[in-house]
Amino acid sequence: MNFKRQIFGFMDMLRFTKLVPNRREALANGSAAPLPKEYRVNTLAKVLHPGEMAVEVTGVRRVTEGMTELTFRRTDAGAFPFFRAGQYVSLRGEVGKSLVSRPYSIASSPREALQNKLVLGVEDAGFFSRHLGREVKVGDRFVMTEPSGEFHYETLRDKKRIVCIAGGAGITPFLSMAKSRLEGDEDYEMILFYGARDEKRIAFKAELDEMAAKGIQVVYVLSDEERAGYEHGFVSAKLLEKYVDIRDVTFFLCGPKAMYDFILKELAPYSLPVKAVRKDATYCGSLSLENPRTFRLTAHIRDQVYTVDAREDETLLTALERAGIPAPNKCRAGGCGYCHSKWISGEFRIAEGRDGRREADRKFGWIHPCVTYPISDLEIDIPPAEL
Amino acid sequence: MEQHTAKAYDVVVIGAGNGGLTAAIRVLQGGYSCLLLEKHNLPGGFATSFKRGRFEFEASLHELNDFGSPEEPGDIRTLFRELGVEDKIDWVRIPEAYHLITTDKQYDCEMPFGVEAFISKMEQYVPGSRKSMTDFFALCNEVRDAQTYSSSVNGNTDSSYMKAHFPNFIKAGSYSVNEVLDSLKMPKRARDILNAYWCYLGVDCDRMSFLHYGSMVIRYITRDAWMPKMRSHEISLAMDARIRELGGDIWYHSPAEKILTDDSGAITGVRLADGTVIPTRHVIANCSPHLVFGQMLEEKSVTEQMVRATNARTFAGRGFSMFLGLNKSAEQLGIKSHNYFIYDTADTVKQYDLMRKVSTNHVQATVCLNNAYPACSPEGTCMMYFTTMFMSDDWGNVTETDYFKAKDRLADDMIRVFERETGCQIRDAIEEIAVASPTTYARYCGHPQGVIYGYETADWDSLMPRMMMMAEDAKLFPGLRFAGGYAMRSSGYSSAYVSGDLSGRQTVGDLKREVR
Repeated sequence: MNFKRQIFGFMDMLRFTKLVPNRREALANGSAAPLPKEYRVNTLAKVLHPGEMAVEVTGVRRVTEGMTELTFRRTDAGAFPFFRAGQYVSLRGEVGKSLVSRPYSIASSPREALQNKLVLGVEDAGFFSRHLGREVKVGDRFVMTEPSGEFHYETLRDKKRIVCIAGGAGITPFLSMAKSRLEGDEDYEMILFYGARDEKRIAFKAELDEMAAKGIQVVYVLSDEERAGYEHGFVSAKLLEKYVDIRDVTFFLCGPKAMYDFILKELAPYSLPVKAVRKDATYCGSLSLENPRTFRLTAHIRDQVYTVDAREDETLLTALERAGIPAPNKCRAGGCGYCHSKWISGEFRIAEGRDGRREADRKFGWIHPCVTYPISDLEIDIPPAEL
Repeated sequence: MEQHTAKAYDVVVIGAGNGGLTAAIRVLQGGYSCLLLEKHNLPGGFATSFKRGRFEFEASLHELNDFGSPEEPGDIRTLFRELGVEDKIDWVRIPEAYHLITTDKQYDCEMPFGVEAFISKMEQYVPGSRKSMTDFFALCNEVRDAQTYSSSVNGNTDSSYMKAHFPNFIKAGSYSVNEVLDSLKMPKRARDILNAYWCYLGVDCDRMSFLHYGSMVIRYITRDAWMPKMRSHEISLAMDARIRELGGDIWYHSPAEKILTDDSGAITGVRLADGTVIPTRHVIANCSPHLVFGQMLEEKSVTEQMVRATNARTFAGRGFSMFLGLNKSAEQLGIKSHNYFIYDTADTVKQYDLMRKVSTNHVQATVCLNNAYPACSPEGTCMMYFTTMFMSDDWGNVTETDYFKAKDRLADDMIRVFERETGCQIRDAIEEIAVASPTTYARYCGHPQGVIYGYETADWDSLMPRMMMMAEDAKLFPGLRFAGGYAMRSSGYSSAYVSGDLSGRQTVGDLKREVR
């Protein structure tokens, strides 16, 4: 072929020789104004995703026997990021010489976050939560990760009508979801089933009753107590049928594993699609082992090397924290990938049903220390925590 | 972390995206020490994956072009072979080129790979197009050969050799896609169908250089496109593994904040956000000159020339993607193609203009990965990803409290357009959904305005003069080279790998010259 655009081929060739001088000239003639220091999209990204935040306790309130409400404000900025109701944060603090962190669902609303207020409900369950419930006072400081997680309403996926089922401290994300609905940021129709042993274990009852008056349907279900105005027993399919069409709703479950097992068994006969039931992730704790062995865990963080004891019933993350080494983590359930770390040598096991790694992670030897237990001496490379 | 001065490295690479990973391997293969810094906790930049429920989504890769089969490797497979990562990855071949739909009902065409097949299919759709299509591919072949020659001499081409061997390359070389196709007397409808790939380069065909487009199309059509089975995360981890094998270091969660210089303006090190200093005299930046000269480089060393040369350039598209995990198979849903381009119009100039505003942009490049790799999601499900771009900073108008709703509105529109144009009803099958906006891209990769395509390769800043000025551009700041989407080869996976290869090897050359 013989390409030609102008009358004479040499004219086309000539144009080609101008490419470089043209570009050289354009570059030299760019504006001399200083380059931008900020871009709007990047500023919003930083506001919505600040990473780790410095926070201070502004309020401590005992809400029931066994549960404390903690209110926080940010000290490193004037507001918490707007988030999607149902999400969680991870709180990190020091207990003695150990670092400890745990994920907690946010109980306050996304609008309150903009007023620099974020509320968590902490059950006196584990080591850290007991500490938070009993010892913490106004003015105490912590590190908190940004709101995260996929346990929230998905407008394009979920049914208009949602059934939220809470057990124990599992009530907290639903407080936020109800408030967010009432504040106009979500548009689902929400019915909440809140299961507790007896009336005195129902937390946030005044707030819930107030929201019930505004259009959030709340059904209290007591297992150990019969009382007027309350359902009695468990949140069974039969009870659900009384209130909703089980096939035309999306379920949101938050509570202990036993509750999930029970509800899923109740719903099994309906053969609902996977998408119809969303469960909040639960924290991955220790294994119950008799006479757990202790191994040596060598952790590289950039150019530093740490060697710590690691018990075979505790996650690698816990072993690091126990030694006071800050390691990045958020969900502590194996799913968020924030603790993604390189395995170097040694043997490990992963908590059952919690292997949230990508396929290639398994192939190339990457692990999530928040759900990984040592079964020999182990060497890993972890990224540093931010703050 | 304690603040301290780390050990010195010959080279520090900032950013473990496709360009940075490749550059680091090249530096290490050249026998020099290298530290790769990454702000996120994963390698790859856009080349990654993420999990939602029982789905592992591909974050960005549609197909890796110019890859070719093991027996007839394309340039990128050859590069991967040289880097020592080809065999670490399980590959799957992409079945067909693209399915073009325009919502003005003008086009619904499925185009195959292979020059002969492509020309014949075009003749079916547009009778009388054969001659111009044949000329087009002949011209593209010459473009490719000329570029191969140019690479083999590191851009220092001999002009009489060029004129003797690649006259058409030079004669067509200064024109836009549409100008060249016009000269080839290609029927308008054939042009429209052929131009469907334009959104992969993000510049309309009146302003996109023919050399750029032609060299991409020929690579797509003549050499198979491939894809790693475990999503692009497999490539990124393979490169991470290779860097470790070669004795390199990678620090994740380690954003570089400052490039330090001495009074003579020479690079002395890189400082991280937490104060840690890494002494080095060579930096390869896998990020934008806007960030490097506007924020990272110590102000005393920023010259007016750097500022002017950076301000002169135009940001390319800002990315927006939706990811769907569907609870029915592609077959059940009637999704037949792997790669759809759905435009409002085949007129690329008009379409580009509509893409400036969030509200008028209904373009999508959509992939159903199961149609290339059926096992990518569990039996009875399938996975799709939809991508578009904004040709201005319009997304910057989105407020914090409208953010989630703004994402939903656009995602909803993408589903609506796809269902309407293909007749495949997918909405009720959505089991998992994730949406990435320019804000998301800004968050993970730090690119200004959430740009995913680097600088526009349009008009004066097109690919050819960039390549011809590679050495000249690098003189702007000795000791610093760029890799990735903002570098000389512009954006896209293959281009980013190539720029990493070039900048990595050139930095090795710089180091060798220093010793002499």
